Amino acid sequence: MPTWILAVFAALALIAPAHADGIAEKVTLCASCHGENGVPVDAKIPVIWGQNAGYLYIELRDFKRGARASEVMAPVVADMSRDEMMALAEYFSKKPWPNLAQKPADAATAEHAQAVANSAQCSQCHLAGFLGASLVPRVSDQGYDYLLTTLEAFRSGARANNAWMTDLMKAYSEADIKALAAYLAGL
Amino acid sequence: MSIGNPRISGGVALAALLAFGTILGTSARADEVNRATLYGDMTTVSQDMLNRAGQDANNFLMTHGDYTQKRYFPNRQINTMNVRHLHPAWIFQTEVKETQETAPIVVDGVMYVTTAFDHVYALDARTGAELWHYKQPLGAITTYCCGPNNRGVAVYGNMVYLATLDSKLVALDAKTGKVAWQSDIADPELGYSETMAPTAVDGKILIGTTGGEYGIRGFVKAFDAKTGKLIWTFSTIADNSTGVWATKDATGQDLHRDIAAEKAALAKLGDPAKKLGGGVWQNPSVDLANRRIYFVVGNPSPDLDGAPRPGDNLYTDSLVSVDLDTGKYVCHFQYVPHDLWDLDAVSATVLVDAKDEHGASVPAVLHAGKTGFVYVNDRKDCHLIRFSEAMVPQENMFALPTPGVGTRMLPGANGGVEWSPMAVDPTLNLTYAINLHQPMHYSVKSAAYPDGKLWLGGAFTVIPEEEQWGNVTAVDYNTGKIRWQVKTAQPMIGGILATAGGLVFTGEGNGFFKAYDSSTGAELWRFQAGAGVNAPPSGYTVEGREYIVVGAGGNAQVDSKRGNNIIAFTLD
Repeated sequence: MPTWILAVFAALALIAPAHADGIAEKVTLCASCHGENGVPVDAKIPVIWGQNAGYLYIELRDFKRGARASEVMAPVVADMSRDEMMALAEYFSKKPWPNLAQKPADAATAEHAQAVANSAQCSQCHLAGFLGASLVPRVSDQGYDYLLTTLEAFRSGARANNAWMTDLMKAYSEADIKALAAYLAGL
Repeated sequence: MSIGNPRISGGVALAALLAFGTILGTSARADEVNRATLYGDMTTVSQDMLNRAGQDANNFLMTHGDYTQKRYFPNRQINTMNVRHLHPAWIFQTEVKETQETAPIVVDGVMYVTTAFDHVYALDARTGAELWHYKQPLGAITTYCCGPNNRGVAVYGNMVYLATLDSKLVALDAKTGKVAWQSDIADPELGYSETMAPTAVDGKILIGTTGGEYGIRGFVKAFDAKTGKLIWTFSTIADNSTGVWATKDATGQDLHRDIAAEKAALAKLGDPAKKLGGGVWQNPSVDLANRRIYFVVGNPSPDLDGAPRPGDNLYTDSLVSVDLDTGKYVCHFQYVPHDLWDLDAVSATVLVDAKDEHGASVPAVLHAGKTGFVYVNDRKDCHLIRFSEAMVPQENMFALPTPGVGTRMLPGANGGVEWSPMAVDPTLNLTYAINLHQPMHYSVKSAAYPDGKLWLGGAFTVIPEEEQWGNVTAVDYNTGKIRWQVKTAQPMIGGILATAGGLVFTGEGNGFFKAYDSSTGAELWRFQAGAGVNAPPSGYTVEGREYIVVGAGGNAQVDSKRGNNIIAFTLD
């Protein structure tokens, strides 16, 4: 188990009995993985600073319901109320998107990814610039490793809280998905 | 023709990134009112004005022109002889650079336009100068499948009415943009949202809902225009949604249904009405003489998977008429029973007088389907009089979606005719539709209802190797024959306007806005707007000068280039 996961459980053990009124302690807990400055501590952890509030809320809700499986997130959200989830979502959505210093995809990869995005009609939901809105996440400049892991998890069905993404990703090859992740990360 | 010397007026052009960052969190700024440039004095839009909107050559009072929704502007100042001289009068840049589907409304020289994410602008229609700007403070949760669209406002009395992505109906003071009242329409977390313009009639504000991709139960509601109180609700999903177990579509083509399996599923699952979808997101037409409204109901949920929804799925994919005063059912006609392709009924209905099967002129209602047909129905009992020749290639029609890559079928799930409203020139008995040709694979995979989230039951994917294109098609609604057709470089979404000047105006995703001879389809004028022109044009006249106006902001659904322009054209 990576050390950052142990850190989460350690932080949870400290915070759980506190019954804080506000979300400050939860924010601290979030930062232990998602980063003090918005840059996640591990490349497989998503950026949540500047992410769309509706999306953040729905993911927290789905972690709690078990619709999105995560051994890390499940205990974090287990006792969270809807209001707390909403407040956290609002809080992080108002933070600036961090600079991950990712490089733009090369021309051939970008062309490949754009053909896939056109076929999958990504912009219908993720909108211009892949910035999303409300329930739909921003995916541009999201971390490459997280994007690739997530797209592959949709494809395999391991991430099961958005069935249509699984159906969509199954229509594309591993190479297509790699190109898409590289392109989005570099936007 | 290129931009001569357009006057850039009002508005703040922010970069797309900035705009996105600021829109959602901001609240209304109705205090940004500039009263100095108001032309005329709009005190009230009377019912009488609305009743005769189709003959009003000064104003454009409704999303689709008038209650018949012909989108026929009766001024002939701009016509086939002089349209080549048409040029921008002004360009207004909105704050939002995202998908633009607004139909500009004009009342006494004041124009009302909307943008993605529910901004409303009042503009001086002569100059494009901003009078006021309202931003709906959207909640964190808005649920929509195909872009944060808004298609415009309704005007009535001294109010401007907006329906929002977070499923609220908002009444604004037409002079100031200040909120008069706001009513909840439905719960956005359950998949309900608003993208359509409301319809105002006889003290009521009519509104449908989106959500056919989210397992909603669709409706049309009437609210009191003065108070915002709900008057009636018509559920677009019948309590008994199973119907007659039709094995063919409206045009007699086999739907490949396994009725025995569906009946077995019905015995096991019960009626699927509760999550069956059936959105209504284009304006109803209003038959004032008979106090009826006519609208079309969209696809069943989930789109591609029929397993959880045995039966015909009434009234999805149907023309429906209800009583204007009570919301009670009058009649319906289903185009595609038990739809598995999202080939549903979206484009706004149009009321015309058309020849029936016996050659007699009868009150009829037109609808352009994603199937690529124009349907002509009798207003009396909703029965189908005729359907047109196919406007786009139809191949492997109604082949069942399959697991994996899926089945290739034409038209693709966007049509044919998407939401794009038609226009009608009643002097020529022609209706004009814009179409997409977008070959797609249809795949199916059953999935449990995901609680207000996208529920497609599979995927439709555009086939990357195949050519896409669009067309403008004129159909004689008395015969169903195609009179003329013009191919366009890209699939078309947006809408069309016909005028008494013998013209039709429509735009394309590649930025071209064009005028055609409405009799022949000859292209008479084109303008490059620099962003996708995927919105319905409007016409209006101020101080004796006719204008044509259209939004050029691109489109999320066909991913055309985004922009933030409202462009008004005129002659010198």
